[in-house]
Amino acid sequence: MPSKNLARVNPCSMCMPMGCVLVFRGIESCMTLFHGSQGCSTYMRLYLAHHFREPVDIASSALSEKGAVYGGAANLKQGLRNVILGYRPKAIGIATTCLAETIGDDVPQIVREFQAEEPLARDVTFIPVSTPSYAASHEVGYRVALKNLVQTMVRKSKPSGRINILVGSIISPEDVRYLKKLLDGWGFGYILLPDISETFDAPLNEHLPRIPAGGTPLDDIRDLASSKATVTIGGVVQEPGAGDFLEKEFEIPHRPLPLPIGLDLCDRLAASLEELTGDPMPEYYERERGRLLDTMVDAHKVVAEARTAVFGDTEMVLGITRLMTELGMRPQIIATGAANRAFAEAALQMVPASRIITGADFSEIAEEIMARDIELMVGPFTGRQTAKKTKIPLLRVGHPNHDRFGASHQLLLGYEGSMHLVECLANALIESKEKGYA
Amino acid sequence: MSVIKIFEGRERHIQQKGDDCLPLSCNNDSLAGVVSQRACVYSGARVVLNPLTDALHLVHGPIGCAAYTWDIRGAASSGSDLYRNSFSTDMKELDVVFGGERKLAAALRELADRFHPQAIFVYSTCIVGIIGDDLETICKKAAMELGIPVVPVKSEGFRGNKTDGYKAACNALLELIGTCDYTPKSYYSVNLLGEYNVAGDVWHVRPLFEEMGIDVVATLTGDSRVADIQRAHTAKLNLVQCSGSMTYLAKKMEEKYGIPYRRISFFGLQDMASALRTTAEFFDSQDLKEKAEQIILRETARVMPQIECHRARVSGKKAAIYMGGAAKAVSLVRAFQELGMDVVIIGTQTGDRDDYQKIAYIVKDGTLIIDDANPLELKELLLKQSADLLVAGVKERFLAYKLGIAFCDFNHDRTINFEGFQGMVNFAREVDVTINSPVWQLRVKRQSPINSRSDLTMNTGVEDAIQEPCQG
Repeated sequence: MPSKNLARVNPCSMCMPMGCVLVFRGIESCMTLFHGSQGCSTYMRLYLAHHFREPVDIASSALSEKGAVYGGAANLKQGLRNVILGYRPKAIGIATTCLAETIGDDVPQIVREFQAEEPLARDVTFIPVSTPSYAASHEVGYRVALKNLVQTMVRKSKPSGRINILVGSIISPEDVRYLKKLLDGWGFGYILLPDISETFDAPLNEHLPRIPAGGTPLDDIRDLASSKATVTIGGVVQEPGAGDFLEKEFEIPHRPLPLPIGLDLCDRLAASLEELTGDPMPEYYERERGRLLDTMVDAHKVVAEARTAVFGDTEMVLGITRLMTELGMRPQIIATGAANRAFAEAALQMVPASRIITGADFSEIAEEIMARDIELMVGPFTGRQTAKKTKIPLLRVGHPNHDRFGASHQLLLGYEGSMHLVECLANALIESKEKGYA
Repeated sequence: MSVIKIFEGRERHIQQKGDDCLPLSCNNDSLAGVVSQRACVYSGARVVLNPLTDALHLVHGPIGCAAYTWDIRGAASSGSDLYRNSFSTDMKELDVVFGGERKLAAALRELADRFHPQAIFVYSTCIVGIIGDDLETICKKAAMELGIPVVPVKSEGFRGNKTDGYKAACNALLELIGTCDYTPKSYYSVNLLGEYNVAGDVWHVRPLFEEMGIDVVATLTGDSRVADIQRAHTAKLNLVQCSGSMTYLAKKMEEKYGIPYRRISFFGLQDMASALRTTAEFFDSQDLKEKAEQIILRETARVMPQIECHRARVSGKKAAIYMGGAAKAVSLVRAFQELGMDVVIIGTQTGDRDDYQKIAYIVKDGTLIIDDANPLELKELLLKQSADLLVAGVKERFLAYKLGIAFCDFNHDRTINFEGFQGMVNFAREVDVTINSPVWQLRVKRQSPINSRSDLTMNTGVEDAIQEPCQG
């Protein structure tokens, strides 16, 4: 059910350009530039630095009043030039903001002019994305950036036989590392995009590069159209994206899958990969699956019938909700900050008796929590005020998480991630009961 | 000659004290593409007004501007926590096309009904400046209808820089000031301007004034309520701490209400003491002067042993300062002198020519001064000057850490009180703890029995003996 209030009180979502950064940062040697006023990049740098505990450099075209009146072309070109001079990137992702969109700058055209005028631009790939902040949430920004990136870069060449693994939702660097390990172990060729495993979680070395090492190689991105299939992990309730584009334009079959959280959804990923490769899942992961199952059985009484509120990004909320139903928990509130009908339908199917909120803010979530005798909240740290007010424990999962360590190392995906999550759910409920008795 | 060369057009923003060259270039638009650490007009306005605890801060714009500024500052409250919520009109495509005025008017009604605030501030964002919603008229109508002040804040992000945002906020405050009567409880009365009660700072400062027999009428804006602001015109003196954000307001209050102002700082032992003395001297009262000296003597004696202990562990180390405003940067230079440390880099986001002249006057020869820095320049300077410590905000924290440099958060999201006498102890401890942490001695490269590798520590070269930590 969509929100009934006019004003948003304590938002459960962010704006479109935020999603772009999480895509662009997962590309080899790529810088992000926001075409807009200086504050957008500074605020999002701050937000992401808090979450990942890494330096986050995002450039801005630093539009001023003059730019807003006469158009921002000069600023954008100067910005691109300085980014190339300062950072020497191989690619620059350019996301618009509400200011740039409303003054009506034609960014692709400005970029073409810049490429024609500027010798420095010759070896740089530019990825312009239209992301007016008022149009939709950060999740849509993420999807659009991924789609534009693929549209801009792919070239058809001879079949490689590889499989494209598109990361359709925002997940942690640890999650990406897990997926890569799984795929490497399986032993088939793949292209994973975007890959933030190193770029947003860099080891401490004696030299600090201007752009963090890692990310999906640009050559691989160009080569996506040569693969034999695409799997989008965490791409079920979003509008068509990069995978659909590759299917439509290059006839590469596309399988959108949910995030592999919980036994069933992990099995679905495994089955898909087996079908596509013809190779069985490595034995190691069969044992891991068995350990997840063992943990779920061990924990089932502790978590039984626990009344929970789950909120955050669409795909992650659905995955966690699915795991909860497998454990015999009772999710009562399933909420996301974005307007998304497919999410509401999927959630309703999973837990028909729950209260499902799209376009939610935390004032609504709090109201529902107080009306429904909730025992545990699960979602980003933005739920902390509600948790404090209602005295209900909050298990922090997903993005953003500014007030606890470990956001980059939180593993939620796969049999192993699901196992950690089961343990965290059980421990949170045990600790809460202990506090109650104290 | 430029100190470092990364971006064309930035040469004159970086200077080494001792060079006889042109004045530092400052107070102009940030260069596109260089990743300035500055934010926007809206951010400046938000910083100044947000600590007002029982006001409702409504952001008229898309959700992002409200989401990224939700409860991100450490300004503490002794009363209402309304200001820690995030309110937005969440403008969508249709609002941009047809205008957001009706939505705003309805949102004001809805929020007043749900939250019963003492006043509402309505911040305009970039988009509002472009589509031209008439905030003034809507706010005026809403104020009449709702019976509370509804104040527009002209903070369109692109209309200038953070300093213009400070001004927009001060103008909003001026609409509230003078709208309530009050008789100060003492003949001696002051306002504390540019004091935001980060980590409860003001709770360590206000009692000192009260002990002297001074009524602190209002703090602008840390831990203040709407009613405090409304009666701020009844004080006899304005003490201005964060000069960048509040000098404009102080001047306006002098014009309008005849209240003089003095610049002070509550950070560092010298500055805290001189704030009390300045106040006593202003009122020209022997009694106040004596009380001030008693407090200074007592408090200094109380905190000195602890500070001395930390000083012994940090003196001689090199500090780099990168602050939003110049007033804090200047105060930090003095505080580092008190700790026996050398300042080797100092910079600000919003300093003006006067500020940089003052900075150049108080720092030693060889110190690098930088205006509107960016990560690449900061990195170069930190390495060039072999800084042991960076004092800045969260965006800079991880840069320092990656370079193996200690870090102290002196921005609005710090959680430790640094003002007043006790605050200096906390600051000294914070600096000590980070500089002398054993993590900097850990090897970046593992020593391998089969491969020869370098045994660099993170803090390259400096191999101090571990000292016993300070007690208490």
